[in-house]
Amino acid sequence: MMLKSRIFRIVLIYSVCSLLGCGLSYGTPTDIACLKNIKASLKDPYGYLTSSWNFENTTEGFICKFIGIECWHPDENKVLNIRLADMGLKGHFPAGLRNCTSVTGIDLSNNQLYGPVPNDISKIITFVTTLDLSSNNFSGPIPVDLANCSYLNVLKLDHNRFSGNIPPQLGLLDRLKTFSVANNLLTGPVPNFNSNSSFGADSYANNPGLCGKPLEDCTSPSQGSHIL
Amino acid sequence: MRMLIEMMPTVLWFILAFQFVPRVVGNAEGDALNALKINLADPNNVLKSWDPTLVNPCTWIHVTCNNENSVTRVDLGNANLSGQLVPQLGQLYNLQYLELYSNNITGKIPEELGNLTDLVSLDLYLNGLNGPIPVTLGKLQKLRFLRLNNNFLSGTIPMVLTNVSTLQVLDLSNNKLVGDIPVNGSFSLFTLLSFQNNSLNKPPPAPPPPLVPTQTRSSG
Repeated sequence: MMLKSRIFRIVLIYSVCSLLGCGLSYGTPTDIACLKNIKASLKDPYGYLTSSWNFENTTEGFICKFIGIECWHPDENKVLNIRLADMGLKGHFPAGLRNCTSVTGIDLSNNQLYGPVPNDISKIITFVTTLDLSSNNFSGPIPVDLANCSYLNVLKLDHNRFSGNIPPQLGLLDRLKTFSVANNLLTGPVPNFNSNSSFGADSYANNPGLCGKPLEDCTSPSQGSHIL
Repeated sequence: MRMLIEMMPTVLWFILAFQFVPRVVGNAEGDALNALKINLADPNNVLKSWDPTLVNPCTWIHVTCNNENSVTRVDLGNANLSGQLVPQLGQLYNLQYLELYSNNITGKIPEELGNLTDLVSLDLYLNGLNGPIPVTLGKLQKLRFLRLNNNFLSGTIPMVLTNVSTLQVLDLSNNKLVGDIPVNGSFSLFTLLSFQNNSLNKPPPAPPPPLVPTQTRSSG
């Protein structure tokens, strides 16, 4: 009888706490973990993150003052945008982003990141609206799963070493306004975007084997490196 | 000459009288802010410095002015204020930042806020506001931050807001909004995160994929 009422009390307190927590949105302790993880996974030779991303003084909204971090609200640790362009950062695509559950803008351009882009990227950055990975050393395929990042408005993958085909499913991204895969190692047909958002030849320039509008027509089923 | 001497006392009397006319008449912006002060309960006395007899409100704490002594910012976030907003806020014509978040302010969002055409940031989040999001907010063509989350706002999301091309951060979550979620214009940038915990209609399922094909093949 005593145990039952104790258990009941614990459950009641837990439920009340959960309900109170319910009013707040995504993010917070996970966002701190996200940034800690990103910092740990990247080499930061110029010390941008080392100096600015200090996790000791943990007041409300402290991560909002970090270099490159923009929060949803100035007094809540919930990351909206991450802009770490031009910082000489080295490492892989930061998997820690998975814990920044409310992030929408990501700019990692002009760094020395390398390796593949994760093939479950839409689970890592589900709500991404701007993804700029340009001017790095990323390699491997452009993941098909990017097509599930349905909120993408800007997708910049130019100036990397992506190879293989551009997934045709990227044509499903109906909010896409800016798209570039120029200066990579891509081959095969350009995806069919709907007429509102077809992109010019500049978006595809300097790849060894891309074909199809706005470039030259594809001439064989597996368009290799020859374009007539 | 004689008439002049006779008029002297009257003239002197008028000059003297004017010394005592309070100089409040000058400042409409101070009056507007004072109207707000009167409508708010302020247990922490954050509005203590708000003295309407001063020539302008530019020395008031939590008020920022520009070089022409016109109010550009009101910073009263997290101030334990309650009470209601006032239509006179619409008279702060150079206002850029209206920060009233994390208080206990109730009542409606005044539609007169639509007159604040220089407004860059409207932060009314975490309060007890009810009623609709005024359609007039569509006039705020410089608005970058619109954070109305965590209130009791009802009605639909005004479509005109999609014409505010400067919008960068939108948070309408945790309200009682109904209707459709706009996805066009500036709202192309906003995800479900901006609209969570309302009674809004789920977005329609994505249209069936177009024939995704491989591109036209020319004969060799």
